[in-house]
Amino acid sequence: MDTLQYLADGFSTALQWHNLLFAFIGVLIGTAVGVLPGIGPMSGVALLIPITASITGGLGPEAAATSSIILLAGVYYGAMYGGSTTSILLNTPGESSSVVTTLDGYQMARQGRAGPALAIAAIGSFIAGLFALAMLIILAKPLSNVAIMFGPADYFSLMLLGLCAVSGLAGKSITKALIMTIFGLLLATIGMDTVSGVARFTFDIPVLYSGLEFLTVAVGLFALGEVFKTILENDYGGGRIAKIGRILPTKQDMKDSAGPIARGSLLGFFIGILPGAGATLASFFSYITEKKISKKPETFGKGNIAGVAAPESANNAASGGAMIPLLTLGIPGSGTTAILMGALIMYNIQPGPLLFDEHPQVAWGLIASMLIGNLMLLVLNMPLIKVFAKVIATPPKYLIPIIVAISIFGVYAVQVQRFDLLLLLGCGVAGFFLTRNDYPLAPLVLGLVLGPMIENNMRRALTTSNGDFMIFLQKPLSAVFLIIALLWLIVPILMKKRGKQVVINEEG
Amino acid sequence: MNKVFDRYASFIFFLLGVGFMWMSTTISASAYGSTVGPNIFPFGLGALLVLLSIRLFYEVLKSKDQQTKGEKLDYKKFLLIFTAAALYAIFFEYIGYIIGTFLFLLFSFQVLERGKIVKSLIISGLFSVGVYVIFVVILEGSMPGFPSWLS
Repeated sequence: MDTLQYLADGFSTALQWHNLLFAFIGVLIGTAVGVLPGIGPMSGVALLIPITASITGGLGPEAAATSSIILLAGVYYGAMYGGSTTSILLNTPGESSSVVTTLDGYQMARQGRAGPALAIAAIGSFIAGLFALAMLIILAKPLSNVAIMFGPADYFSLMLLGLCAVSGLAGKSITKALIMTIFGLLLATIGMDTVSGVARFTFDIPVLYSGLEFLTVAVGLFALGEVFKTILENDYGGGRIAKIGRILPTKQDMKDSAGPIARGSLLGFFIGILPGAGATLASFFSYITEKKISKKPETFGKGNIAGVAAPESANNAASGGAMIPLLTLGIPGSGTTAILMGALIMYNIQPGPLLFDEHPQVAWGLIASMLIGNLMLLVLNMPLIKVFAKVIATPPKYLIPIIVAISIFGVYAVQVQRFDLLLLLGCGVAGFFLTRNDYPLAPLVLGLVLGPMIENNMRRALTTSNGDFMIFLQKPLSAVFLIIALLWLIVPILMKKRGKQVVINEEG
Repeated sequence: MNKVFDRYASFIFFLLGVGFMWMSTTISASAYGSTVGPNIFPFGLGALLVLLSIRLFYEVLKSKDQQTKGEKLDYKKFLLIFTAAALYAIFFEYIGYIIGTFLFLLFSFQVLERGKIVKSLIISGLFSVGVYVIFVVILEGSMPGFPSWLS
């Protein structure tokens, strides 16, 4: 009954008018981010951190954190709804987790069934979102009770596991992904050491003492990186948009997609919990599953509604599932959740097992607001879908410079120094060249966020063992985590050696 | 996959790894009450980075020359906008938000597509003034609006 009480408190937080407004703005921008090709959920969330930070400036520290995380999470799951729109109407996925939706969604649109396809995507996302949240509510407390018993050695190994999982699945080359992870961890060591107060790698430059700001790096790598890519590849021509027509799906459509939605939600949720595997993988797997169990597999790719319902439910369930390790263990499993975590840390709120005890307002407020947000998204995506289809028509030539301007404005508003603006532009260029050559960025950001925590837990563990590294193998939990981490890296390599194709998670 | 880029990248990461290892030897090796100092973590990471960059170098050597992405990159527009953004960032504090943003947006719009100057003027003007009004006047944030030598 404790949980219900907390949930009720959460609702009273989430229903405060300003939080309702934040949730609404979040899901609205999220849908737009999902609809606009070129801005993914990662860059969308990164871009909005500085803006929410300045909007919430007038609130108390905890209330500010609650409001901004409500908004940012809204962008995250809102993007999962919006991504389907362009997949169906334009045959260009708005973000990578909607790639599979194009297969059947666009075919449906060509047959004049774009409306039902969009509606089923929205309904499926809604059901999946509710399911993932219900699971989050049930699992949050028990999981954080388990996690609270972890010692520093266990934590170190668990975070290592998270990093290995993300690197193992993050890109075409595991070596490159690992390099990016280590590089991120190294960047995190720049600045004042939090334990001893010793300055590291600062070269006596004052701006470096506080370290490289996570926010600046994330906005630069993701938002500016993508903008530069669009400019360089001259990729801002519009496509032909399919007509939407009637929106409401028929009874037969509903019947056909009930099963796929249910299976997609379950599958997506469990894939979402796994670190490293995110919404993109979830949507792929659920599509493949549906095709396998379908009685008429040949209709897939020709406008089968199950091919829209399943992946769209799965990617939304996965984004809900990904919140579980973030909130209960304090370990982000993907690039976007890493950015959310960075935002929470900016507000001096440490996600993890203690979050539910120390900041119940933040944790439960967020959960309750996600319920409300999903409802808002259903409303936004059903009757208003035609309005959002217009957003696609925004000329990118106006959008691109404005994104640059927003990045610069946002970073300056929070950091108030020129060094960060230059770092931002540098990261933008680096982000473009790295992604172009298959160096995944998500592990870098993950390393940057987790770096200080990994280091602190490692040093704490080593202090108790007097510098003996065997402590990580002697503690049973820690040893198990390390073994899983190792397997996560080795298994994909072995599978590649045997010629099997490994599905990789491009969203990160 | 671009072999040239990967080769350079492996060199750079190798040097970075060595650099981090070397620099971390100058950090004190112990912290108060602990034998584990602030140097050990970056040193280990530096070593890992060196190993991984060597592995990357070998992977590049072994890999067959794959064809690079066919499309040509539009460096001219990019450099123009990037230079504008860099100037915008550098002189941000001197010329203030409104003038800087207005000029940057106007220039970039025109770089991406010549013509429609009135529309560009209106959008850049509305955006720069609008953001400033929302942020500074309504939300009471601090942002250098106009250059200090003007007001």
